[in-house]
Amino acid sequence: MKKPSEQSEFELEKEMGMDEEEISHSEEEGGVEGEAPKGTKRSMKQGASEDGVLRPVKLSRGELYKPPTAEELNQLKEAESLFHCSLLKMQMEELLKEVSLSERRKRLVDSFVQKVTELLQGVPHTEEVELSDQSWLPKDVKIPFLLVPKATKGKFHMAPPAAISLVGSYPLGTCTKPRVFVDLAVTIPSDVLHPKDALNQRYPRKRALYLAGLAQHLSTFPDIGTMCYSCLHGNRLRPLLLLTPPAGKDSGSLTLRLHACPPPGFFKPSRFHPQRNNVRTAWYTGLTAAETADVNEPPTPHYNSTLLGDLLPRVHLQFLSAVSTQCASFKDGVALLKVWLRQRELDQGSGCFSGFVASMLVAYLLSTHRVSNTMTAYQLLRNCLHFLASTDLTENGITLARSPDSTAPSLSEFHSAFQVVFVDPSGHLNLCADMTGNTYKQVQHEAALSLQFWDDPTLDGFQALLMTPKPLIRTCDHLFQLCSLVKLQSSCKKLNLLSELMDHSGNYILTVLPFILSLLQRGLGERVRLLAHSLSPDPEWPVNSVPPKHKDQPPLSFGLLLNPEFAASVLEKGPPADSPKALEFRQLWGSRSELRRFQDGAITEAVLWGGTTACERRLVPREITTHLLQLHADIPESCVRYTGGLLDDVIKMGREANSTGEEESLKVVQSYDDLSRKLWRLEGLPLSVTAVQGAHPSLRYSQVFPPVPLKLDYSFFEREKTTRALVPKEGKPCPTYITPVKVICHMEGSGKWPHDQLAIRHIKAAFHIRLGELLNQQHRYTCHATPTHLDVYKDGLVFRVQVAYHREPQVLRESFSPEGMLCYRDNPEAQKLELETLHRPFLTSTLHGLQQQHAAFGGVCRLAKRWLGAQLFSTDMNEDTADLLVASLFLQTAPFTPPGSPQVGLLRFLHLLSTFDWKNSPLVVNLNGQLTGDAKPTFPLLPPTAADYIEIKNDFIASRETLPVLFIATPKDKKLSIWTQEGPSVQMLQRLVMVAAESLRVLEAQLMDPSQEQDYRVALRPPLDAYDVLIHLQPKQVPLLAQAVDPPHINFTRGSMPGSVASAGGALPVIDFDPVSLYLAELRGAFGELALFFCDPYGGTVIAVLWKPPAFSPLPFKTSQMNARTVEVTGEEVRTVPNVEAILEDFRIMGEGLVKSIEARTERWVV
Amino acid sequence: MAPSKGKNSNEPCIIPGGFTVLSLQFKTDSTSCHSVFVKEHRVRAEKNASRPLDRTLFAINIPPYCSEEVVRELFSQFGPIQSVELKERPGGTESTESKLSKYFTPASKEGFRVGYIVFKNSSSVTAAKSHSSDQPLVVSTEQKPVKTGLQKWIDQYSDSLIQKDKLQAAVDKFMEEYDKQKEEMEQKKKEEEQQQEEDGDGWVKVTRGGRGGKARPHSEAANQKALQRENKKRKRKELLNFYTWQHRNTQREHIAELRRKFEEDKQRIAVLRAQRKFRPY
Repeated sequence: MKKPSEQSEFELEKEMGMDEEEISHSEEEGGVEGEAPKGTKRSMKQGASEDGVLRPVKLSRGELYKPPTAEELNQLKEAESLFHCSLLKMQMEELLKEVSLSERRKRLVDSFVQKVTELLQGVPHTEEVELSDQSWLPKDVKIPFLLVPKATKGKFHMAPPAAISLVGSYPLGTCTKPRVFVDLAVTIPSDVLHPKDALNQRYPRKRALYLAGLAQHLSTFPDIGTMCYSCLHGNRLRPLLLLTPPAGKDSGSLTLRLHACPPPGFFKPSRFHPQRNNVRTAWYTGLTAAETADVNEPPTPHYNSTLLGDLLPRVHLQFLSAVSTQCASFKDGVALLKVWLRQRELDQGSGCFSGFVASMLVAYLLSTHRVSNTMTAYQLLRNCLHFLASTDLTENGITLARSPDSTAPSLSEFHSAFQVVFVDPSGHLNLCADMTGNTYKQVQHEAALSLQFWDDPTLDGFQALLMTPKPLIRTCDHLFQLCSLVKLQSSCKKLNLLSELMDHSGNYILTVLPFILSLLQRGLGERVRLLAHSLSPDPEWPVNSVPPKHKDQPPLSFGLLLNPEFAASVLEKGPPADSPKALEFRQLWGSRSELRRFQDGAITEAVLWGGTTACERRLVPREITTHLLQLHADIPESCVRYTGGLLDDVIKMGREANSTGEEESLKVVQSYDDLSRKLWRLEGLPLSVTAVQGAHPSLRYSQVFPPVPLKLDYSFFEREKTTRALVPKEGKPCPTYITPVKVICHMEGSGKWPHDQLAIRHIKAAFHIRLGELLNQQHRYTCHATPTHLDVYKDGLVFRVQVAYHREPQVLRESFSPEGMLCYRDNPEAQKLELETLHRPFLTSTLHGLQQQHAAFGGVCRLAKRWLGAQLFSTDMNEDTADLLVASLFLQTAPFTPPGSPQVGLLRFLHLLSTFDWKNSPLVVNLNGQLTGDAKPTFPLLPPTAADYIEIKNDFIASRETLPVLFIATPKDKKLSIWTQEGPSVQMLQRLVMVAAESLRVLEAQLMDPSQEQDYRVALRPPLDAYDVLIHLQPKQVPLLAQAVDPPHINFTRGSMPGSVASAGGALPVIDFDPVSLYLAELRGAFGELALFFCDPYGGTVIAVLWKPPAFSPLPFKTSQMNARTVEVTGEEVRTVPNVEAILEDFRIMGEGLVKSIEARTERWVV
Repeated sequence: MAPSKGKNSNEPCIIPGGFTVLSLQFKTDSTSCHSVFVKEHRVRAEKNASRPLDRTLFAINIPPYCSEEVVRELFSQFGPIQSVELKERPGGTESTESKLSKYFTPASKEGFRVGYIVFKNSSSVTAAKSHSSDQPLVVSTEQKPVKTGLQKWIDQYSDSLIQKDKLQAAVDKFMEEYDKQKEEMEQKKKEEEQQQEEDGDGWVKVTRGGRGGKARPHSEAANQKALQRENKKRKRKELLNFYTWQHRNTQREHIAELRRKFEEDKQRIAVLRAQRKFRPY
């Protein structure tokens, strides 16, 4: 299919050479001729890109239906068949433009390389000295090598390099921005080396010394900007000298890496067989040969592959260049793969999947004909990911060697020595020698995930896979760090890893890592889907200082991707007591393992972890981790910094409680279920109940602090005379806030319902009274009916039942046109009613369902809303919107998996807020998966597209200006975004985005950096310096004080006592009485035109006031715009300005008893 | 900033536009005052019995804690008052739905308001207008304290505790009236229908009102539905992809569709490029 079309393309192009030019010419002419409409359209299109807003594209009929040229046809066809759409193709092109090196940059590199090469040719000879004698080096240049053990045999002298050549990605053309590394291989002349130097780190030391010599030589020249040492992929045996051009314009991102290499073929590759030993125990341990004579020398595969790696860079370059010349899009394919790897933090550090491995992988696929030479870069990337996802290199290694010589080791020999096997073209070197199995598993997991997202037509795969960074902390549900790495030395001893330590030349971190990983993998078992770890970054240090010790590395981070089904189980059931595996189990768990008898009669080994509440159970992986590390690796708990539930504190109920509200929510839901059953079964109602629906966040597990049953101290309250209901007493602290849980009760439709809005309202009131009476008679619940709702006091909770009639919104919409025609016109009143009685209950039940699928949903909602509240955004972003945004994190996860802990959910929520392109795209939340698109592709030829999504997008673009700034589309609401109609405004959204980005930065730093003092609450303390006036409130009168971010110590009572609550009866408590919100409502009512008021609804004791600038510029006198203003008369002109002094006084008057003090912070408008 | 600065302290402060500035403070020891602007009520087109032109004082910028009673109290020093009306913004009177019980009238929005104060004597208006701005009106006095803040909210809360039987009574009263009204309507309709039937001699009285309920439903939705049905019928009769030109057209449409998408994508790319959205890191 592909071939002929291509051929024809080629021929056609030849033929069309002429025509094409003509056509393009005539097109231009058309533009110049300038039919008026066309000209304006052009300018409009340009305008669109200038202000960054998408507008619907309009093409004239002429443009749409002109006869296509062959080239255009081909282009369109290609875009259609190879990519999801032409958009992806263009995106790829743009991305490649962005990462590839410009010609100017290349010239810069070339000239710098040239200069350095010249300088290096002039390295002087020095006298031959003992290898351990480094006195010839000046004081300000140190050897980039950790000399452990101190001495080794051999002689060394400096000499000019035998050859200098470019290797690696730059000559291959796969070098990418932003950090441009150019590798320069400097060949050490053979007279410096000795064929036996492969032994006992002699060669690596000579190599390091040679680099030091080069550094000394280069330091005398001004042509070099800065110089420092590093090492290749964290391997301390392979130090590098990093050079940057002298400081000037755009020198910053260019780094030249000098590698010192032996002459080609200097060592025999067979010496470095993974089974052979090249580091003698006697030498390494410093014991005499006699003491170690009986010891078999252990193989040193990692040491061997290090040396082998030095021998081969030129060979590899030749191999890759040969491949690259055959496949046109090789370079672009590798570049894309590198971007993909980098976004996942997999391409740097020790044991990384480096760009070099990536190009080798592409070469492998090309050489095995899994991809063809004619494929595009995008196809190469896809195939690579597919290969990675489907091939397990830890089990079935691959090799690039066509016909390895007889001395080359076999694949099984490689497998016995290394965890991941990918053999280079020579057949001797394992390219993935340092990679841990877990890293490869992570690569595999990412590749599989990426493919899945790419095939999903409903999302922008490009954005998700190539443009979104996936740092460990935002990817994994739980994270822990090993802090004092020096402790790992003792684990080496405990695990008895001397020979491995020797193999890794004393790098105890890399030595222990695989063992810790396998230990944890065994212990965590099914609880985790993936155990990932950070790759320790390559250290860099100046030439005049000694190399950093291993323990000075940044801490190792481990990420756990939890399996929600098993992660929180408290029981680890082992094998039966008499089975042979029992011993193994006991060994793994140590003293925690006990024999237990289960209900089915089985007696097995088992481990029981603590934890009664969901919040404690979420931390079972932490217990396992610390226990195992302590038991087997001698790593004390104090060294393990586990960040899985650190943020839970802010949503914990009360100070000592260890529950984050899951249990309380469940109780509310159970009580509600009971109430709904009772409502259904009520006897004696004139019309039957057709539906009872919850319409409150606590019924979908997302209430930040779910209501708790309270036993009331009646002496604390006044009593209302006739109803005997409780009333707050003056002079006492404000009573505990009782949240009414809203429930909508739909009544049967019937001809008896009146067809008039006022009458419907009266009938509803009558229903409220009747329901209350019946509930009281039949179930003894205390009820209170009002025209708008019925409060039911049940199980210590209050349910606010609201009767709804399904035709009421319709009745509200009815109006008659002048001709007497009945028409339906939307109005805010009807919308509000519909929102309350139709949309909110639906949303509540849908999100309730989501909670059943994803246990972390409620926790994430609560944390996110707690953050919004603390940052004073609660009024701008209502709870439903916040819940929807969180829901989108679970439904549209790309490039992640659904969050498995509240912490990672919050981080992603902040990331979504701060990075989503609110201006140009609608956020589609596919609740219940109802939006599908595959049903009707517009034309049979087109691939399945997400018709619903496209429809939403087009509607959105067509009427962007009139839609809310934050647009959320759901299956039931594709065009209006009902939840965000009220806010946030443009300015508030801007601020929200800004604050979210900052909070995210602070939080991630807090969670990842152990050197910082841990106070993650910083992210929940709002900056108050931007506000003009602060109103401080009396803490006693703030009923939700205990929910504050920094809860103060409370030494007074709010009228509730400990103790269990009767399920029915009792006096009606004080419901929904919150002086702070009453005060805020009054302030907004009176001064809403002049100022904005912000307050944390969860125990905030400060109201922040921001004056609105436009209201403060003097205005002409107008009777309708005089609120809280005073006049200034100058001659005949009257200007009005806000009467700030009186307003501040009003703040105090209106909040009498609640306001503690008023602090005017800015002098700007104070008179 | 007070406009009266430097003037004789006992003179009223009148600003251009004819308004007199009265200052108003909450308590005698309050430090700052609001300016209430008063003027005699004068409108061109309105003839309203409840606001007689000569006796009505129009006041703007009345603070939220001044209820009608408070305003009555405040202005009674200028003369006896007949009525006080507070509104959110100036304008004509609406027919107040006094029929509704207090439980069903929506709560009025709190905030700064304008007032129409109708005195019993027209001289009081002049008295108010010539009041000096240096002698502020005081809202809350020892004898008649005005509750704000916490006290007010507690009172509000206990007021919101409605007695069930009173509410029921209000509902019953309304529904009774509603039913009565409806019955009357029915009656009327029936009479009309009766008129259209043949009388004894076989005569039918023809009126303008149409034929009552039997006609086609006269609503927008019904109209649209009918239109759609027509369209559907027409469409079903058409043949697709029968003639060559139709086939060609589909192909042309396809290419046009691709082109349109291509343009859209180009624009999107341009926008993204402008935002530097292609920098991966």
